[in-house]
Amino acid sequence: MMKPDVKVVILGDMNVGKTSLLHRYIEKRFQDTVSTVGGAFYLKQWGPYNISIWDTAGREQFHGLGSMYCRGAAAVILTYDVTNRQSLSELEDRFLALTDTAHAECIFAVVGNKADLTDECAIVQTSEVGEEEEVSPSTLHKQVFMEDAIYFYKQIIKYKMLEEKDVPAAEKMCFETSAKTGYNVDLLFETIFEVVVSFVLKKRVNPPQTVVLRHSLKTKRTKSPCCS
Amino acid sequence: MSIKAFELVPALERTLLIGDKTWINIECIECCGRNLYVGTNECYIYHFLLEEKTSTSGKLTFIATKQLHKYLGLKKPVNEIKAASALNRLMVLCDCSVNLLNMINLEPVPTGAKIKGVVAFTVNENPVTADPFCVEVCTISMKRKTIQIYAVHEDRVQLIKEVSTPEQPVALAADGYFICLALSTQYIILSYNTGVSQDLFPYNSEEKQPIVKRIGREEFLLAGPGALGMFVTAAGISQRAPVHWSEDVIGAAVCFPYVVALDEEFVTVHSMLDQQQKQTVPFRDGHILQDFEGKLILATSKEVYVLVPLPLENQIQDLLTGRRVEEALVLAKGARRNIPKEKFQGMYRRILQQAGFIQFGKLQFLEAKELFRNGQLDVRELISLYPFLLPSTSTFMRSHPPLHEYADLNQLTQGDQEKITKCKRFLISYLNEIRSADVANGYKEDIDTALLKLYAEANHDSLLDLLVSENSCLLVESAPWLEKHKKYFALGLLYHYNSQNEAALQLWMNIVDGGLEDTTRSDLYEYIIDFLSFCSDHELVWKYADWALQKNEEVGVKIFTRRPLVESQTIGINPDDIINYLHKYRKAVVVYLEHLVFERNIQKEKCHTHLAVLYLDKVLGLHSQSRNGSEELTSARNNLKNLFRHSQLYRVHLLLGRIKDTDLYVERAILHGKLEEHDKALEILVHRLKDFQAAEDYCLWNSDGKDPLCRQKLFHMLLALYLDPAVTSDALVMAGVDLLNNHAVEFDAVRVLRLIPDNWSIQLLSPFLGQAMRKSFHSKCMAEVALGLARSENLIYRYTKVKSRGNAVALSGKKVCQVCRGMFTEPVFLRSPDGALLHTHCATKSSSPSVTVQTYANP
Ligand SMILES: Nc1nc2c(ncn2[C@@H]2O[C@H](COP(=O)(O)OP(=O)(O)O)[C@@H](O)[C@H]2O)c(=O)[nH]1
Ligand SMILES: [Mg+2]
Repeated sequence: MMKPDVKVVILGDMNVGKTSLLHRYIEKRFQDTVSTVGGAFYLKQWGPYNISIWDTAGREQFHGLGSMYCRGAAAVILTYDVTNRQSLSELEDRFLALTDTAHAECIFAVVGNKADLTDECAIVQTSEVGEEEEVSPSTLHKQVFMEDAIYFYKQIIKYKMLEEKDVPAAEKMCFETSAKTGYNVDLLFETIFEVVVSFVLKKRVNPPQTVVLRHSLKTKRTKSPCCS
Repeated sequence: MSIKAFELVPALERTLLIGDKTWINIECIECCGRNLYVGTNECYIYHFLLEEKTSTSGKLTFIATKQLHKYLGLKKPVNEIKAASALNRLMVLCDCSVNLLNMINLEPVPTGAKIKGVVAFTVNENPVTADPFCVEVCTISMKRKTIQIYAVHEDRVQLIKEVSTPEQPVALAADGYFICLALSTQYIILSYNTGVSQDLFPYNSEEKQPIVKRIGREEFLLAGPGALGMFVTAAGISQRAPVHWSEDVIGAAVCFPYVVALDEEFVTVHSMLDQQQKQTVPFRDGHILQDFEGKLILATSKEVYVLVPLPLENQIQDLLTGRRVEEALVLAKGARRNIPKEKFQGMYRRILQQAGFIQFGKLQFLEAKELFRNGQLDVRELISLYPFLLPSTSTFMRSHPPLHEYADLNQLTQGDQEKITKCKRFLISYLNEIRSADVANGYKEDIDTALLKLYAEANHDSLLDLLVSENSCLLVESAPWLEKHKKYFALGLLYHYNSQNEAALQLWMNIVDGGLEDTTRSDLYEYIIDFLSFCSDHELVWKYADWALQKNEEVGVKIFTRRPLVESQTIGINPDDIINYLHKYRKAVVVYLEHLVFERNIQKEKCHTHLAVLYLDKVLGLHSQSRNGSEELTSARNNLKNLFRHSQLYRVHLLLGRIKDTDLYVERAILHGKLEEHDKALEILVHRLKDFQAAEDYCLWNSDGKDPLCRQKLFHMLLALYLDPAVTSDALVMAGVDLLNNHAVEFDAVRVLRLIPDNWSIQLLSPFLGQAMRKSFHSKCMAEVALGLARSENLIYRYTKVKSRGNAVALSGKKVCQVCRGMFTEPVFLRSPDGALLHTHCATKSSSPSVTVQTYANP
């Protein structure tokens, strides 16, 4: 099995469209998804890097797995549904804490999906083969606005006890997308990959500042008393 | 989504173990090589030899023969048996202690070594200590929240480490320093080396039985929440997506690329590659599912079975038969590491090809193309699907077993013409792409012939491109096909490509003559002319020249005029032969001669004269028809005059004789001029034609590029004619005055002044006089300048001379000549400006021009 260089994890409540976003990006299509069981995993070649992308299950039942999925992640995409205020609150209440296991320099993106339901501009169909279905009119009430997302992004920074100047700007890392029309989807993933890859590069140039324990362990072992 | 990945084969039947003692239950199993050990609730261990047999029909069976059984004497069930074959020991957990038994005779080791106080244990299959005579065992201790690591030797055990855990452990697996533990509320990974532990995820072990299996290097399979089989590495992360098994899963094992799970009613098989459930085998009362060195063993409390994996190739074939291309490819790729490389490559290629044909059958051409390419398909497999495309001489046989189920395209499309057309279009683009690729090697003829056939049939423009570029179309196959589709022009190209130019020409001529119908080229006649022009086979050119010229002399003659220059000089067609041949084509011969004379600048009197005569004939002919000059006549005369003037090679007398008695005065004047009979020429112009401008022009062009005196002579001649006292007229006098005034500088003013009548006024001649004066003055000035320059030049030379004579030159017996290296024997010598001394005779021999030699006389 190929060992990925970096890990990207998508978090968010069930039904906000995490699987659909990933599917849209990888397959360039939108189709009805089945509720994700446990988690799913894609490998994406990005330049010389292998990026693994984890789609997680939003269901409460699988919540316990979140921390493990996030372990060592270089980027976390926190996803909500723009027509559902609750889905943003869930991010703060339930999902943010899962990212404690992520890499110390993990970057965050806040993504409001299903923008096609609320914003005219997101209805523009991106180049598409077949699948010329009618796009739903923007009847649904928009419950979460870009400012809310930006505010949440700043909350994340506070939560992580980071300085705003040390992380990518909120305007760069907050997106409104539509998995259905493809609106902003490529932009989202490509932005993240770019930031993440520069992060990998940095990591390769400056090897981790940790001490290799093997040697000290061995010496300790020889000294340890023998039991019979 | 199902596939048959495993087959359930009985290994140990009820009769062999239990018989009628229905109270006996199987508690645990160990399988090591051919040894099968079974532990019972009655505290017995049974040892069987398990023999694998494949019947002639390919069916696999197991035959178990009982070797021994042993009562451990504890009245407790046997919880766990693990073999350590290197030590020839069995480790048996019974009544909370692990006992060591001889693997063969099942006797306890004489030392009685055992591990006491054990709830459960596991063998570390990837121990850090590499001692082959030692097995690392991890136990869950009876001591609360404690695990222990032991080194087990042949007849003794040694505690290596004891680690306490945050909660009570329930199940465990080990790899290296890592122990993966199911605690009561969560899973953790623990490094017994550092004592550091990492939480994985929560799990309620009271509700459901946890599962912890090592599945490979530093990777474990765990039962997760919501019926998930979770993969976790020793680093505490997941690198594979989870599989979804059932809620009441009892056991699980991995047999790559599948996870096999056991619940109360079924054995389910899940792919680690795409997370899908692939197979479901009904199995009641399942109790144990374990893998032993890759062998999956399944047991109820009374019987033992083996889950035999079907060869991956068969599974893949099944998928392909079911047209599940994606899955087949995923499985094939996933199988890479389980199959030897060479075998895999061949197999994988074949799978790709098969998958390609499936996609092709669905008219998914893009996908098919990709698969064919990657599978390096012998393209003839594809071509052979299309009726009549492969050459009838082809010895190609489809591969066996077949890559697909289609007889041909008609069967595949069920005769749907639209689909057939699409398939053909696909083949065109595919063949086109691979024509120049490596895979085409050896089949170029088949490919190009097929392409030609497709193009011809589809009326495709590229047919011609194919034929005019390098190709390998088979003539015998292609010719009848092109004929059938009335592609005669293309057929001609094919003949030409195969060096059968005559066949090509005849076809094309036939089209032009209307014998065959093919509208490919509306300018086919010109094309043929072009073809003949560059045809190096002269016989062919001669053979078809008549046809070409009879169609159109002026165009047809290009077969001669356009021939490359190099050719006509040496090995080419002799121009004389051409001229002779062209006799009957009056227009053509003129064009050809013009070509020789004007374009090739051929310096042959015969050609020039011939052309002049032909021109003249034409003029005379036209002249006799229309008195008052038609346009055609004017142009014909212009041609004639032009030739007369500019050519120096024609026979003047001959032509003069021909026009002597006509009124082609201008022409006559030109001819006289050629003979230097200027008086006659001017006489004609002035007196016959009274065309003074023509006379003046005559003087100008006749003296063009010659000595100025020549021009002067002509002008004086003309002036004399104008002023001839015998034929004076006002017009002539005026012409004379104009001539003088307009060309004053051409005359010798003194001679003119003597010539002109005294009664002419100064006024009349003032422009002439003025210009003559200016010219004369100018000449004088120029002469003075020249004189001055000459003088100064002279002065410079004299200076140099004086300077070089300034010093005495000593000539002694030691000096030698610079040229011949000989002594000077005479007093006369030469000295070059650079000081070298030479014999006089050597100086003349030495051809060094830079040396200006000066003679010195001995004083
Ligand atoms: N209108 C609209 N519907 C979406 C969009 N993305 C996802 N959906 C729908 O939302 C539902 C949940 O999507 P899914 O990807 O399974 O969400 P997940 O649980 O977060 O993985 C599905 O019915 C999708 O069809 C979107 O951008 N626009
Ligand atoms: Mg999902």
